[in-house]
Amino acid sequence: MEVSILNAEMILVMAMIFLAVLLFITEWLRVDVVAILMMVTLPLLHLVTPREAFVGLSSNAVVSIIAVIIIGAGLDKTGLINKLVGPIVRVAGKSPSRIVVAISLAIAVISSFMQNIGAAALFLPAIQRISKALKISISKLLMPVGFSAILGGTITLVGSSPLILLNDLLIPFKLQPFGLFDVTPIGLGLVVSGILCFIFFGRFILPQGSQESDSAGEGINSESLELLPEIGDAYELRTPDDFTHYREPVRVEDLRRRYLVNIVATTEPPDYKLFSPPLDTIIRSGVDLLVFGRDKDVKRMAEKEEVILKEGVEVFKDDVAAHTSGTVEAVVRPRSPIEGKSLKQISLRDRFQVAPLAIYREGEIYRAEIGDLALRVGDAIVLHGTWKRLQLLQGEGSLLFTTPVDVEIMRPEKATFAALWLCVALLMILVFKIQLSVCLMTGALGMVVTRVLSIDEAYQSVDWRTVFLLAGLIPLGIATEKTGTAAWIAHSVLAAIGTVKPIILLAIIGVLTSAFTLVISNVGATVLLVPLVINMAVAANTDPRMAALVVGLAASNSFILPTHQVNAFYMGPGRYRSTDFLKAGGLISIVFIVVMIGMIYVVYGV
Amino acid sequence: MAIITISRGSYSKGKEVAEKAAERLGYQCLSRDVILEASGLYHIPEIKLVKAIHDAPSVLERLSGGRSAYIAYYKSALTRLVKKDNIVYHGLAGHLLLKGVPHVIKVRIIADLSDRVRHEMTQEGVSEEEARSMILKDDQERRKWTMSLYGADPWDSALYDFVIHIQRFTVSNAVDFVCDAARLDQFKTTAESQQKMDDLALASQVKAALVTISVEVAVTSDYGNVLVFTGPEGRLVRKLREKIKTLSKEIQGINNIEVHPGAVVPPDAI
Repeated sequence: MEVSILNAEMILVMAMIFLAVLLFITEWLRVDVVAILMMVTLPLLHLVTPREAFVGLSSNAVVSIIAVIIIGAGLDKTGLINKLVGPIVRVAGKSPSRIVVAISLAIAVISSFMQNIGAAALFLPAIQRISKALKISISKLLMPVGFSAILGGTITLVGSSPLILLNDLLIPFKLQPFGLFDVTPIGLGLVVSGILCFIFFGRFILPQGSQESDSAGEGINSESLELLPEIGDAYELRTPDDFTHYREPVRVEDLRRRYLVNIVATTEPPDYKLFSPPLDTIIRSGVDLLVFGRDKDVKRMAEKEEVILKEGVEVFKDDVAAHTSGTVEAVVRPRSPIEGKSLKQISLRDRFQVAPLAIYREGEIYRAEIGDLALRVGDAIVLHGTWKRLQLLQGEGSLLFTTPVDVEIMRPEKATFAALWLCVALLMILVFKIQLSVCLMTGALGMVVTRVLSIDEAYQSVDWRTVFLLAGLIPLGIATEKTGTAAWIAHSVLAAIGTVKPIILLAIIGVLTSAFTLVISNVGATVLLVPLVINMAVAANTDPRMAALVVGLAASNSFILPTHQVNAFYMGPGRYRSTDFLKAGGLISIVFIVVMIGMIYVVYGV
Repeated sequence: MAIITISRGSYSKGKEVAEKAAERLGYQCLSRDVILEASGLYHIPEIKLVKAIHDAPSVLERLSGGRSAYIAYYKSALTRLVKKDNIVYHGLAGHLLLKGVPHVIKVRIIADLSDRVRHEMTQEGVSEEEARSMILKDDQERRKWTMSLYGADPWDSALYDFVIHIQRFTVSNAVDFVCDAARLDQFKTTAESQQKMDDLALASQVKAALVTISVEVAVTSDYGNVLVFTGPEGRLVRKLREKIKTLSKEIQGINNIEVHPGAVVPPDAI
C-alpha cells in the first residue's frame, strides 16, 4: 500500500480511535453504546459510506457469533454441558490442584467451541459448589478457571470473537484464510502453560483467602446460602415390603416431626410419582421416597424406621436435576395476605405442591414444626419444588423470591439432536469448507427446527451487546483502513522501531495487541490492529498472515485488568481486587506472549 | 415390662402394695429415691425440695410460680429414673408427671377413713379426733397441691387406670391386680412407647435446665427434636437461645433444639 502523508481524514480517524479508547477506559458510555456511536458518527463524518457503516451487522463474524451463541444455548438446554461437568468433578477428587486442572481443561475445551463467557457462566455454580463442599477458597479456583476459559478460546478459530473475525479481516488483503484447527497447537500450548503457571506459582500469585473468610465477607443473601447446608440434600430411600407390618401407620408428617426429614415425593404403584405428598399420606411398603434432609437425620431415619437408604438418587434422578427442581428462598413481603397465618393454614403443599423446608427469622433457623409458626413479614421460607410449581407460587405474589426461579425448562431428551447439529456444523466447516457463518447458522437452525430450543429462546440467548460491539467497531476498522490511517500508523511505528527480525516484529505486535486489548475490547483491538499489522508485516517482509494471527491470539491476552468479559464476570464471586489481576494476570500475560511466539516459531517456522 | 405408678393417701397400704408388686414382678420400687436423685442432680437441699413438692403452694408462690422450678427438677429426676422401665413408683403425682406414656399403669389405692384414722392413732399416739383431723388436713393439702399444679383432683378416678379400695380387697388381692395388669399387652413397653418415655425425660431435663431463666417455658420433644415455647421475642428469648446452644452438649439425646417464641404451646408440652 502507498504510504500517504498525514491528512485531515486520518487525523479525524485517529481522533475517533482516541475517543473510542477514551470512552472504553472511562466507561462514560457502555462499550456497546460506544460501538454504536462509531457506527453512526463515522458515516456522518464521511469517513465511511452509510453502507459500510452497517456492513458489520451482516458480517461473517457477527453472524457466526450469533450462531455460536444459539448453538451454545442449545447444548446447554439439553444438559450436555452439565453431563460433561459431572465426571470432571468425580475424576478430580478432592485435591485443589487436580480440581483446577480438571475444570480448567474442561472449560478450555468447551470455550474452544462456544463463547468464553457462556462457558464461564456455566461453570460458576459448579465451582461454587465444589468450593463449598471441599472447603477450598473460591478465589483459588475461579481465576485459574476464568483464565483457562479465555485461553481455551484460542484453541479453535471459533473459540473467541477475535479469531472468528480474523478471516473476515484477511479478505481485503486477499490473504489465505485460516482453517478451524490451524490455531489448535498454539492454543493448546497457551492453555497448558497457563494451567502450569497456576499449579507451580498459584500460591504466590493467587489470593490466599480461606473458605471461612470467604463466607464472612459475603452479604446477607450469601450468608443465608451459607446456611443452606443446614437444610441438607436430596436422598432416596425405599421402604421394605414389610414396612407396614406390625406397626402403627407412619405418615409423611411423622417423619418430618421425628427426624426433620422432608418427604418431597413418593412413588405410587405401579409407576406413578406423587410430589409434595399431603402431610397425612401414609407411607406404604415397597415404595421409593425422595427426601430432603441433613445427612445425619436421614441416616437416623433410615436406621430407626428400617428403610433402605440408597447410594444415590435413582428413581427420582430426573426430578431432582437442577433443571427440573430446586431449593429457593422466598420472603414474606410487607402487606402480604399470608402475614400472621401459619404454613399449615396457607397449605403450600396442597395448593402448589412445594415443600417448605425451613424458615429463617431474625438470624435464627426454624426447622421443626414450621407448619405451626405464624408467618411474619421478613420471614424467609426455604422451599423445594419443581421450577414450574415455584413459578406458579411466585406468580401468586404473596412471597418475594430472593432466589431466581425463572430457570429455563431443560430438554434432556433433545441431547442427541443438539449433538447431531453441532457435528453437522463442524463437518460443514471441516470437510466441506463452507463459510463459517453459513455452517454455524445451519447448526443453529437445525437446533431450532428439531426443537432443541424454540426460535424465541434462540433470539433470547443472543447477547445483543456483543453483536453491536462487534458490528459497531467494524466500520472503525474500515475507516482506519480506507483512509490510509492504518498504513500510516504501521509505517510510523515501523520506522520508529527500525528493521527487526520477523520474530521480534511478531513479539512487538503481540505486546501492542495485548496493550490494546486491555483498554479496548478484544474485538475492537483485532479490528483496529489486523489491517495495521498486515501493512507493517508486508513492509517488514514478514508473513502478514502470521502478523494477523498474532493479533487474533493476543487479543485474548487480556488478564492484567478485569476488562475481559470473563474476568469481569468472575471478579465479584471470586472477591478479587484489581491488584489480584495485576499479579496473576501479569505473569500469565508474559507467559502468553512467550509461548505464543515460541509456538508460532515452532509450528509455522517464522 | 411396664411402669406402674401408685397414687395413695396416708395409711392406705399403697406403699405395701407397691413394694410387694415390685418384688413379685422383679421391678425396682421407687419413692424417696426420686428426691435424692433430684437433690443430687440440681444441688438442692433435700429438705427444701421435700417441702416444695409436698406442701401446697401459698397464694404468693402460686402467683410467682415459685414452686415450678422444684417441680421441674423433680420431674426431670423422676423421668430419668423411670425411663429405664420395670419400675413401681409410689411417690408424688406419678400419674400426672408421667402423663401420655402408653406403658404407664396408673393405679390409685384408697382405704376407709376409719381404718386410716386407727392407723394414725396407733402410729402417732393421738386421739381419734386429732388423728382424723390430721388425715383430712393431709388429704386436703394433697388435693390443693395437685389442683394448683395440674388442675386435677387426685380423688377423680378418671385420672387412673383403676382404683382399688383396700377394705374387702386385701393388699394381696391388690398386688395380684397390679401384677396381672402389668402383664397385659396394652401396657407392654413397645419401641414407640419407650420413645415417648425417652422424649418425656428429655423434655423434662431441658425444662429443668431452663427454669432458672424462666419458669414460663414449655418444652416438647419428638424423637429428640426439642422445641422450647416461650413468650414473644425479647431479652428472655435471647437468653434462652444462648443457653440452648450449650444444652445439646450437656444433655444426651438432643437431635435438634429450637426456641419458638410466641408460638401456640401444644397441649402435651411440659
